[in-house]
Amino acid sequence: MISYEHFTLSNGLRVYVHQDHTTPMAVVNILYNVGARDEPEHKTGFAHLFEHLMFGGSKNIPVFDEPLQRVGAENNAFTSNDITNYYVTLPAKNLETAFWAESDRMMSLSFDPKVLDIQRNVVIEEFKQRYLNQPYGDVWLKLRPLAYQKHPYRWATIGKEISHIENATMDDVRAFFYKFYLPNNAIMVVAGNVTLARVRELSQKWFEPIPAGAAYQRNLPQEATQTEARFMETSAKVPLNAIYKTYAMPGRFAPDFAPADLLNDVLGRGKSARLYQKLIKQRQLFNNINSYMTSSLDPGLFVISGTVRPNVSVETANEAIDEVVQGMIDTQITDQELSRAKNQSESTLVFSEVELLNRAMNLAFAANAGNADWVNQESDKLAAVSADDIGLAAKRILRKTNSSTFFYRAQQ
Amino acid sequence: MLNRTTAPEFQTIQEVNFPAARTQTLDNGTPLYIINVGQQPIVRLEVIFDAGTWFEPKDSVSFFTMKMLAEGTKQKTAVQISEYFDSIGAFIDLGHGSDRANLSVYGLTKHLAAILPMVSELLSEAVFPEAELETIRNSTLQNLKVNQEKNGYLASVMLRQSLFGNAHPYGKSQQENTIAAVETQDLRHFYAQRINTRPRAVVLSGRISEQDVALVNQFLGQPNANWPTADQPTTAVFDGPQNTTQSRIDRPESVQTSIRLGKRLITRHHADWFKLLVTNEILGGYFGSRLMKNIREEKGLTYGISSSALSFSNDGYFIISSECKKELAGQVSEEIEKEIRKLQTELVPDDELQTVKNYMAGQFVGNLNTPFEIADRVKMIQLERLDPNYYADYVQKIRQVTPQQIIEIANKYWQIESLSRVEVG
Repeated sequence: MISYEHFTLSNGLRVYVHQDHTTPMAVVNILYNVGARDEPEHKTGFAHLFEHLMFGGSKNIPVFDEPLQRVGAENNAFTSNDITNYYVTLPAKNLETAFWAESDRMMSLSFDPKVLDIQRNVVIEEFKQRYLNQPYGDVWLKLRPLAYQKHPYRWATIGKEISHIENATMDDVRAFFYKFYLPNNAIMVVAGNVTLARVRELSQKWFEPIPAGAAYQRNLPQEATQTEARFMETSAKVPLNAIYKTYAMPGRFAPDFAPADLLNDVLGRGKSARLYQKLIKQRQLFNNINSYMTSSLDPGLFVISGTVRPNVSVETANEAIDEVVQGMIDTQITDQELSRAKNQSESTLVFSEVELLNRAMNLAFAANAGNADWVNQESDKLAAVSADDIGLAAKRILRKTNSSTFFYRAQQ
Repeated sequence: MLNRTTAPEFQTIQEVNFPAARTQTLDNGTPLYIINVGQQPIVRLEVIFDAGTWFEPKDSVSFFTMKMLAEGTKQKTAVQISEYFDSIGAFIDLGHGSDRANLSVYGLTKHLAAILPMVSELLSEAVFPEAELETIRNSTLQNLKVNQEKNGYLASVMLRQSLFGNAHPYGKSQQENTIAAVETQDLRHFYAQRINTRPRAVVLSGRISEQDVALVNQFLGQPNANWPTADQPTTAVFDGPQNTTQSRIDRPESVQTSIRLGKRLITRHHADWFKLLVTNEILGGYFGSRLMKNIREEKGLTYGISSSALSFSNDGYFIISSECKKELAGQVSEEIEKEIRKLQTELVPDDELQTVKNYMAGQFVGNLNTPFEIADRVKMIQLERLDPNYYADYVQKIRQVTPQQIIEIANKYWQIESLSRVEVG
């Protein structure tokens, strides 16, 4: 349970306060409602490149990190397909420094061409380090365009290709900033050893003078219902054949997400899940296999992935996955499987609230998705799921015609 | 009009309230450390053994003994054990390190009474079935093959080898032939010697009642009259090369080069330790470090570069790591050397030193909030036999370091010729 209070500034910035007086620390978390899905398809990777530029100096602060480090703060950020999230953790008594620094870069960046030059290079190295110079590193660059045909989820946050990053201009940077980095397109969560009165006072002082801008109207092309199974294969210098299968599923805060979540646990979470039991323990076809979800705000993906043992053909291994998946559709899960999945979820939820920063982020994600209260309704939603609900979710999601299968073969 | 040009006033952290742990002794003499803090109804039960690589009589035995701990007991199969933990939403972590090994279970405190009998069973009745060893051996071999495709993995392994030697517990790494050579009898022997009913310590952290503590004693405190005398580990002797080494693996298909520089260095018991920590922080310990500023933020040659001073129980080492633009790896090396030389010859400006100290103090206090973070530090004090005030005084010791001492440390420990180098890619 994450307690919170809420107010909105006159410029539209929504502020949430979560008080925890057992810690000497505070968190200032600012979520901007913009992610890779908001990029035009010929300028992909830009939301993430822009995140780097947010550390390259604002109007009055030449280097964002420095004044924060001086007061004992740690800060970082990440970009997803849905959002861009910035956070500062610092001793609560120095809270104002975070307000000063974050409000300055929300007001105006320095737009220094040298910073753009350098960060283009840094992001290109990041592209190489994470996606090109790792075994299986480019899987999602290839798999996304198979699983999505219209929605901008068809590219990864790093971007489709390095040239998109190379071609980013300062005009792009300015346009992006004034379109998305607006107080009325952001959510701020202040958590930890703070009071509502103090947060209100600091918010009014530092953030309220920032002018609002035109509200962003998101209007993204949505996927049509998939009607036939998709398939693709590639090969690369990797040690083992791997199989990735995705199925279109509801978004993170859609009403029927909870049954899909538990379905995923029963099928592929941990060593007692069906995939592990049947395909590793019983049939010894895979080296490892599990399932997970992308949990995106727009309709997401239910993913099964595994590496195949060297003496097993990819085709055999794939058929074996299909059998296990079909079993989820044909037969109802047992009471034992249901209670296990629920207990695992309950634990996960409680553990996700141990860290102050996680509480702040969870609150920001829910508020951004539409309702901060959702952060405290997870537990009831999961508890209400029945075996029938999961059976229904299996029939809807795990249909063969809803799947995309990707063989990543090891080059001999 | 609001003045945005000057930063708000701030306060520095001068001291830390390090939460006290309670120490108790179980009926069989095992120390139990209790860290009862936090809001959430959770618990971590950690049982620690002197069973890391340092203590293994044969390569890979420590790793496989721990991996196999939950793969079958006299009463239960591997499947039944994982179903048991999963059904109460508990997570088991079987860890293995250079010095120690651990079995940890995370769960809701209300399930501790169910967690304990199973933990006790794993610690007294594990049977190490052949079939399960084959499954784990296979996946370990395959994971190793994947890792060997990663330049960063190879470079780190090669540096440690070059610093400590192939046979030294801190220098050796997983090899296909040693993985293949492990047999269940090796694991059973190691288990009997170092795991079965002989934990070094038990650490209980989270929201805990007296009843929970009594339960721990009931299940993990039984006296065992039949303790075998443990074989003493052969004292590891440093057998690495006396001179610095330079190695390089060319990988034409790579789009980046992994660079590692390093040398054997002091442990956290050494009088210079805190001075080294501060000096290292300035060089490459945080995002605002000189290496990051120069090589990433000014030149854009890498996504990341860092340096660390690392301490095992019996030895330590210093390492600089980066994955960088392949064609400019030489320039990266030169810039690293330049930054080290600068620390050896020029006083660190007061402003920079203050920032680093404040940042380190903030990090320290900021990572001392969850029951598990506190437990990890309590564990370190107890198991490494540190000064009981090691953490309580941490911030003051950081604050005492002077610019002159930093020059001394950089000269004493970081002579460029004394650093071994590895490049892969």
